[in-house]
Amino acid sequence: MRYPLAFYLNGLPVEAMAKATDTLLDVLREKLGVVSPKRGCDTGECGACTVILNGEPVRACLTIALTVEGKKVETLEGLTQDGKMHPLQEAFHEHYAAQCGFCTPGMVMSAKALLDQKSKPSREEIVEALSGNLCRCGCYNEIVEAVEAVAHGRRKE
Amino acid sequence: MSEALYFAASTLNEAMKLLGQYGKKAVILAGGTDLVPRINIYGLKPGALIYVGKLGLDYIKEEKGRMVIGAATPMAKIAGSKAVAKKAAALSEAALQAGTAAVRTAGTIGGNLANASPAADLATPLLVLDADLSLVSQKKKRMIALKDFFKGPGQTVLQPGEMIKEVSFPIPKGRTAFVKLGRRKALTLSVVNAAVRLEVNRKKCQEARIALGSVAPTPLRCPKAEGLLKDQEISKDLIAQCASEAMAASSPIDDQRASAWYRKKAGAAVVAKALARAAGLEME
Repeated sequence: MRYPLAFYLNGLPVEAMAKATDTLLDVLREKLGVVSPKRGCDTGECGACTVILNGEPVRACLTIALTVEGKKVETLEGLTQDGKMHPLQEAFHEHYAAQCGFCTPGMVMSAKALLDQKSKPSREEIVEALSGNLCRCGCYNEIVEAVEAVAHGRRKE
Repeated sequence: MSEALYFAASTLNEAMKLLGQYGKKAVILAGGTDLVPRINIYGLKPGALIYVGKLGLDYIKEEKGRMVIGAATPMAKIAGSKAVAKKAAALSEAALQAGTAAVRTAGTIGGNLANASPAADLATPLLVLDADLSLVSQKKKRMIALKDFFKGPGQTVLQPGEMIKEVSFPIPKGRTAFVKLGRRKALTLSVVNAAVRLEVNRKKCQEARIALGSVAPTPLRCPKAEGLLKDQEISKDLIAQCASEAMAASSPIDDQRASAWYRKKAGAAVVAKALARAAGLEME
């Protein structure tokens, strides 16, 4: 049984057909071609699929797709505006905050969810907000520094 | 039924009717943080998913000296509530340490209890708060004390067709505390956790509650250890004695997170820390 699903993706209305057990990650990656959220563990452990749902960070792999009916989903694809990178993307680039890049979309979305709610978080708050995102390359320091740079206006020019 | 059906119930009555209709084939979907991994990885094939996120069961309120929390209230909302932090610190601390940010925004209090993990983070604070659950089904409504709710790992007294509507507890007079020990600080299940509630009057303990998580088939109350505190002045020695009595009630197992031996040893320290915190003593 497939059900029609409609929601807002990065500000634009989208539609898809979904099974009851399809997750938001399945629909984004396999039906809508939105591939920044990564399938790491499929159990909510790794954070690579983190997206923002109605302003709050969620695991796309733990979210049954049909429950996002009518809601607003933000992914990394929505951050780049008119070909210009979001300050978080620029800071990740400047601070060498990615090696293999697999965790990066989830890291950026967790960081964005934090900055949307609190524009000047402390280092501890940043670490806490990113504590559910694993980076197997071990770029944690660079990632936290990148987010701090955006939060406290210490971006390199 | 080869492929699952999906229903987004819009009222409690509709949800109960669907639950009655699909009985054992139905699974209740709230935040999905415990349910969906079982579907994704562990081969669960539900006949019908009944989504309860649109029933208006997302609230924290105070009524007649009780705090009442809707079953579909996300843990993030509980963690962020000033009223919960002020009046039931143990519950606030447990909600803050559960999972991680992107899990707390989805995972709910009702789901945390109904999933009946021995390590459920919200179970021990709610046990020491003497919480009651309001259960509803098409046929009846009933109240049950949380201490009578758990039957074993993943097992509760919930009947097919029945769901948790809300969780409530009397606003405590004394202080509560929660201490969790995991393998890491973040995104970890408890190796052992403890919640306590102490009501102290003129230096004498009037009422005590101690609960342990992750050291028995269900979250566990420790009446014997609680009894040691009754009418006593709380001292470091008494806390140590009480912590060891509490662990005597436990029956931990060896698993991927820790050995039974370690859980017994570390558990005593976790209980002592929680008791000291609630009693306002420096032990750490």
